[in-house]
Amino acid sequence: MRDDRVVPDWRAEVRARLAGARLHPQDEAELVEEMAQHLDEQFIDLAASIGAQPAYDRLRQELREHGVDEAITRRRKRARPTAGRAWASGSLWRDVRYGLRSLRRSPGVLAAGTAALGLGIGLTTMMFSVLYGTIIKGLPFADPSRIAYVSYNDPQHGIMDGGAPLGDFQRFAARQRSFESFGGLFRGLATISGGDRPDRISIARMTAGVFDVLAVHPMLGRTFVTRDNEPDAPPTAILAFSVWRDRYAADSGVIGKSVRVNGKSYSIIGVMGEKFEFPDEAKIWLPLQLNASLAPGEGPSLNVVGRLRPGADFESANAEFRGLMQQLDAERAKPSTERPVVLPYIRATLPKRVYTLLYSMLGAVMLVLLVACANVTNLLLDRTLARSREIGIRTALGATRLAVVRQSLVESAILAGLAALLGTALAYVGIGWFNGAFPGRERRFWMDIRLDPGVLLFVVGLAALATIVSGLLPAIQSAKLDVSSILKDESQSASSLRVGRMSRLIVGVELALSSALLVGAGFITKSVVWLRSVDPRFTTESVYTARITASPTDSAKERVFFESVERNLTSLPGIDGAYLGNDLPGSWGGGDRFAVEGRTYASNRDYGRTRTLAVTPGFFTTFGVRVLRGRGIAGGDRIGATAVAVVNEEFVRQNFAGADPIGHRVRLGGADSKREWVTIVGVIPTTYATSLDDMFPPLVLTALWQQPRLSTVSIALRGPAEFASAPALRKVVAAIDPEVPVYATSTMTEELAQATWSLRLFGNLFVVFGLVSLVLATIGLYAVMAFSARRRVRELGIRMALGASRRDVLALVSWQGARQIAIGMTVGVLLGATFVRLIRALLFGVQPTDPSVFALVFGVLGASAFVACVIPALRATRVDPVLALRSE
Amino acid sequence: MLTDELKKGSAEFLILSLLDAEPRHGYELQKLIEARSKGVITFHVASLYPLLYRMEDRGWIVGRWVEKTGERRRRFYRLTPAGRAALEAQRDSWREFVAAINSISGVRYA
Repeated sequence: MRDDRVVPDWRAEVRARLAGARLHPQDEAELVEEMAQHLDEQFIDLAASIGAQPAYDRLRQELREHGVDEAITRRRKRARPTAGRAWASGSLWRDVRYGLRSLRRSPGVLAAGTAALGLGIGLTTMMFSVLYGTIIKGLPFADPSRIAYVSYNDPQHGIMDGGAPLGDFQRFAARQRSFESFGGLFRGLATISGGDRPDRISIARMTAGVFDVLAVHPMLGRTFVTRDNEPDAPPTAILAFSVWRDRYAADSGVIGKSVRVNGKSYSIIGVMGEKFEFPDEAKIWLPLQLNASLAPGEGPSLNVVGRLRPGADFESANAEFRGLMQQLDAERAKPSTERPVVLPYIRATLPKRVYTLLYSMLGAVMLVLLVACANVTNLLLDRTLARSREIGIRTALGATRLAVVRQSLVESAILAGLAALLGTALAYVGIGWFNGAFPGRERRFWMDIRLDPGVLLFVVGLAALATIVSGLLPAIQSAKLDVSSILKDESQSASSLRVGRMSRLIVGVELALSSALLVGAGFITKSVVWLRSVDPRFTTESVYTARITASPTDSAKERVFFESVERNLTSLPGIDGAYLGNDLPGSWGGGDRFAVEGRTYASNRDYGRTRTLAVTPGFFTTFGVRVLRGRGIAGGDRIGATAVAVVNEEFVRQNFAGADPIGHRVRLGGADSKREWVTIVGVIPTTYATSLDDMFPPLVLTALWQQPRLSTVSIALRGPAEFASAPALRKVVAAIDPEVPVYATSTMTEELAQATWSLRLFGNLFVVFGLVSLVLATIGLYAVMAFSARRRVRELGIRMALGASRRDVLALVSWQGARQIAIGMTVGVLLGATFVRLIRALLFGVQPTDPSVFALVFGVLGASAFVACVIPALRATRVDPVLALRSE
Repeated sequence: MLTDELKKGSAEFLILSLLDAEPRHGYELQKLIEARSKGVITFHVASLYPLLYRMEDRGWIVGRWVEKTGERRRRFYRLTPAGRAALEAQRDSWREFVAAINSISGVRYA
């Protein structure tokens, strides 16, 4: 106030004087108004007589006097609303109703906000359900966190999570103190016969302790006791619920009857309940026979489980087992290179990459959720600004900042509540889809992926989090709005600029993130499409497949059995081809090292590698594979005749540099192979194998009938379904030996598809992530553009009044958005390119630099971003310049 | 010079009297009192408003925001019936007081 020409701001002076009084806003406003007006007038009069500075000093001095405090006391008409009152239920309900009404008035915000948050919550819930059902929930047994899995690691030989030999297990069981119960088991496939038809099922041989570890009780009868594991114990068996229901017609008197497993009779002592599954898919449990004479390191390899004793933990158990292992080492000639490891059951038995995959997927969707919250924040910010006048009036009428914040939070809570409902529905659908796409044979017994209470609780938590995150910023912003300046004029420059910068940053990040996700999704999609369209170069249409395992007898009888199967299948009417082999073409298995006669190999590692398949002559007709040179495997290629092989072109290219290989001899196996040399008699084209790292590998076909031993054989029949599918096959096999199970029935197309399920499943998930983030980024961009266009209505009105055309305005408004899109997308695509390099192992038939994918992502993202940015711009140009000028 | 005690006692009477003619706003009251007392009685914001608000609380006067064309919004105070009664009572007691003083001191007005 050194300058006489300046009029002091008495309003501010009085407000400062009242600051500590904490009056009700309306009381304060009236007091300020009255005193400031008085001081204004008095200052003018006083300044005229004694000068501005002395007048100012004197009036300020007077304002400081105690009398003002009395005036304040007198003016305290209304109680200042307190926090407690603001949050009381009655007014909260009023806020909810008010919020519902006001959201209904802006259906755009409601729809976009609910969609954005709902998608985010839905995806997160779905991924969390998968994680929860797979890892977090634990085994479906009592106190599952105490169930441990003991495995052997052998870092010297690169073997992790190996089993413990029975000889070691028996010593551990006798000496260990960490577990209150302790058991071992091994799994296998077995033929179950008797009843209407034989079947090949999973079985487990167990010690009695396993049932104690799991703390389960049978539905009928009993589980194993120690006596059952003794070598001379009578053979006993426990049935799974499904076996009891399907093969024994749910007979409650089944105990004491017998079941035939691998041709041997077992007395049924118990039936487990419907939900019991352990380990994966076992349908019959047989006692594991102990053998006290086994030395450490001897005997079959077991899966070992234990239930921690109260007071023991994984750390102490690990220490104890390391000590026990040292005792065992002392008993043998040479210490073992293996080290026992005690881990929680699921952690030990679920592959590490599944852990990593699930957690990184969860991380990715949490990011999507964060983007969704950012979006809602943006939408609500825009809304807050549009409503600043309303908020100003509310404040002037006595609403405290807290009440304003609460109103804003209530609105975002309503939004989050609706979004949580939508998200739950989406997650429900998504989980159904995931379960459908997740192949049964990859499923572990404890996996139970669904929307359960724990997950629902998580959704509610997310909704609350989303509310706070997306509601807080606009809420604080709305509380910060200065009442009097809003009421006086509506220029939203200062505060909205602050908000605008933050919104734009959020959208930039969103655009970058969704570009990156879309680039990843684009590459994976292209891989999946490529995999689907890849030509296997052999017939898969109308090819029906199955496996059969001969009843255990001697090898001559097995051979006779399989030969009759071949004969009878080949003579079936309406069949185009019948194949028997040790596996199906295109399957993952059957790789081996080999040597070419006359070449020298320095070490085992220098031997060649090839796929192998032992086939009948039906291979060529069933799968429509031509012989390019020489001959195929023929009916006369049997034991006693010259051992022959047919190789594919890739094999020839790799080993004979394209020269004619016919007449050369090869031997399968590495340096220590004892197998016979086989003579190459023919060449076939290279066919597809579902190995993702090498899809057209070298292949050596040998004659099935020249194999020394046959027990399990794959069958393929080509022809119309009524002649070639599973029932026809079963009839043929049953006519020869009714005890032989026909299982793993499928079609060749399904067999090939199974190899790529994980890629398709996670590829599809990626596509969903990419699309969701695209939608979110579009909504976010729209919100920001709408917001900035709203702020500039007056400016645009002036421009148009001064002669700017609609096109100029459109260009002006879009330009800002376009810049943002360009920056966001460039950053995102660079991120995406880095990311794609990291997942190169998942890409097939597409290079990580494929420009078409980048172009597509640019196109899709650019187009939708452009739309999101042009709509508000178009709306801005429709503003009548006159109205725009008058509007503020 | 009037003592503060005297000023305080008389201030309410002065304000009531000034408002008897017409409604007035705070600064106007301050100026009128100062002018009519020829500078003997002065007020400022810290002394005037506690008084006005006390009188308003007592129900003697009532303030209303009035907006006149071309002027800023002002709070005008006017007398209530209770205020008018209080004014009459104070006038009566002043008259008695002055008469009593006169009869004792022998001071006479023309």
